Amino acid sequence: MQKNALNILLADDDEDDRLFFKDAFEEIKIQTKVQFVHDGMQLMDHLLDPENKLPDILFLDLNMPKKTGKECLIEIKKSDRLKNIIIAIYSTSSSEEDIEDTFVQGANIYIKKPSDFNTLKKIINEVVTVNWHYHTSGLNRDNFLLRLK
Amino acid sequence: MKWIPNFNSSNSLRVIFVIAVFILLFLSSIAYKHNQDLNESSKLAMHTYEINIQLERLMSAIKDAETGQRGYIITRNNRFLTPYLYSRDKVNASFVTLKKLTVDNAVQQKNLENLFKLIIQRFVSFENCLKYSDPKTYDKRKLDNHMFGGRILMENIRFQVDKMNDIERKYLKKRLEIYDQEISLSPVFSISLFLTALLFILLAYRQISRDFQRLKLFNKQLLISGGLMAESEIIGKFSTWQWELDSHKITYSDNQYRLLGVTPNSFVPVIETFLDFVHPDDRAAVSESMDKIIEKKNLPFIYYKIVRPNNEIRYFKSTGKLLTDQQGSKILLGINFDITDEHLLNIELQERNRELEKSNKELASFNHVASHDLQEPLRKIQTFISRVSEADKAVMSESGRDYISKIAVSAKRMRVLIDDLLLFSRTNTTKKEFIKSNLNELLQNAESELAEVIHENKAVIKASKMPKLEVIPYQIEQLFINLIGNSLKYNKAGVPPEISIESEKVLSSDYPEFLEQSVKKFHKITFTDNGMGFDPQFKETIFILFQRLHSKTDYPGTGIGLAICKKIVENHKGHILADSTPNVGSVFTVFLPE
Repeated sequence: MQKNALNILLADDDEDDRLFFKDAFEEIKIQTKVQFVHDGMQLMDHLLDPENKLPDILFLDLNMPKKTGKECLIEIKKSDRLKNIIIAIYSTSSSEEDIEDTFVQGANIYIKKPSDFNTLKKIINEVVTVNWHYHTSGLNRDNFLLRLK
Repeated sequence: MKWIPNFNSSNSLRVIFVIAVFILLFLSSIAYKHNQDLNESSKLAMHTYEINIQLERLMSAIKDAETGQRGYIITRNNRFLTPYLYSRDKVNASFVTLKKLTVDNAVQQKNLENLFKLIIQRFVSFENCLKYSDPKTYDKRKLDNHMFGGRILMENIRFQVDKMNDIERKYLKKRLEIYDQEISLSPVFSISLFLTALLFILLAYRQISRDFQRLKLFNKQLLISGGLMAESEIIGKFSTWQWELDSHKITYSDNQYRLLGVTPNSFVPVIETFLDFVHPDDRAAVSESMDKIIEKKNLPFIYYKIVRPNNEIRYFKSTGKLLTDQQGSKILLGINFDITDEHLLNIELQERNRELEKSNKELASFNHVASHDLQEPLRKIQTFISRVSEADKAVMSESGRDYISKIAVSAKRMRVLIDDLLLFSRTNTTKKEFIKSNLNELLQNAESELAEVIHENKAVIKASKMPKLEVIPYQIEQLFINLIGNSLKYNKAGVPPEISIESEKVLSSDYPEFLEQSVKKFHKITFTDNGMGFDPQFKETIFILFQRLHSKTDYPGTGIGLAICKKIVENHKGHILADSTPNVGSVFTVFLPE
């Protein structure tokens, strides 16, 4: 486990999902600091504010009001300061189109929102503990979509 | 004519006529020459006879002189001397004539000269005879001498005259011989030539009559094809026109007038008349492309409107081509099509297409919304159920626990339905990228996807070698998953499932009732299982969306799987069949185009 608490940011407009996410993190007992934003605009404001520490991992919902997850992703990858943030797409959709688009735009992993709380915990555990340096270097279209073993 | 290749009849006719004319010319020149020769010969004969006559005249003049002289010497009567005195003039006249007649013959001239000398000598002898017979100077011896000398001279003269006559006769004879020779040869020759000419003319006549027959035949065919053309123009709603650029003569086919809404030949077309019919909006474009044909020699299709005299608007499509004939004059040929019906139909079709596209889009977005947005609340229901912990359940009533688990089952079923629906709509809407793929690899992927179920059921899957085809890989993989999954699900209780997959190449012509005939070869892939099978009367309906043959409690499912299979195969322009014998097994046959 890391000495410094991991900085996690979830951008999701759905209150229930934020709740599940918060509960799951509490239960997996990894030292993390989880923050939430409610839409794309708020996300970009948060990231661009130099006062805020940049998150280690950003969980990004695609379907958000004001600014969609894809738009945010493009903006983040364009910015020199932000482009190294690890981005996990966290979406209800598992359409080929969304997966393909976000892969091309440089997201690190694609998570389909599970319909089971235990699965959610497993997923979060997997994402948080993965060796991102290793994962990113071997990233391809096949392992981009997270599948639990 | 066979001896000259590619000889058309007009050329051979020309050759025949030229040959015949030459033969006739030759014949007439020969005839002319013969005539000339004949003339020459008769002239020559006349010439010879004339010389002969003149010589005889000369002789008779000398004889007259001799007779006269004798009479005078005997009688001493001066009356007898008169012929003697005239004979000199006669001799001179004959001599001048002879000299003229023999002017072109050196030998005869020489002979004539000798003759003349002899005659002079004869006259000298006459003079001497007269002198010595005169009683005043009479000398009998000298008179006898001169009389005798005169006799000899006379013989010499006669000899000389005969010699000259002989020469002329021989000359005439020789000429007549040559002439005879020529004339005996030529009749055969000229008759044969004449016959040849006649033959050629007959040949030409035969050729002409044959050509005439052919011409008649062609004329008939032309008449037929002209009639056909006119008829097909009417039926096919097109027309033709010609524009002879040099003479500016424009000819319209009858149907051109009809298409323009007027009766055939109701006006004489000139360049401007057609443009008058063209709709004002299109006039400039049509006029421009007319000019372009002349420049570029052909014209791609142009589309424009025309206005008929009754203000009806018709849609035209035209093309043209510039031809140059053998004489080098340029003819512009054009075809106009009246495409009003097609045009209107097209507009209607486009309209319908747009509507269809719109409703398709709506359907797709409805599908997306339905399956996507429905997932949100469902996912939360499931997640919340999963959050009801065992501890929570322990304090619930039994029926409460029961309801919770029933909610969970229903929610799960709804999830499967939504997932399948999403999958079904995706087989339609997502990008269809065809990639050359090894079907055996796709089958392996499908098997590893199903690994758990295969293992659970102890299923055996045997597959023969399959081809590499241009396919949408993930869809074919889905097809394999669904078909194998289907066989695994509907297995016979207690019997491990066995699935054998065979592939072979077939001709589309062997399955004309359902295979696309424009593709020649198909791959026929059969999936045979030993499952419970189904009643063959349902072999068509099982591919219909939401059609199920079993209750969902016995066999969970949505009735979408095989519909997806059908959709996928259709996306590949193939065909899928199912057949079965209950309790023996089912066979699914997939045809994919090569």
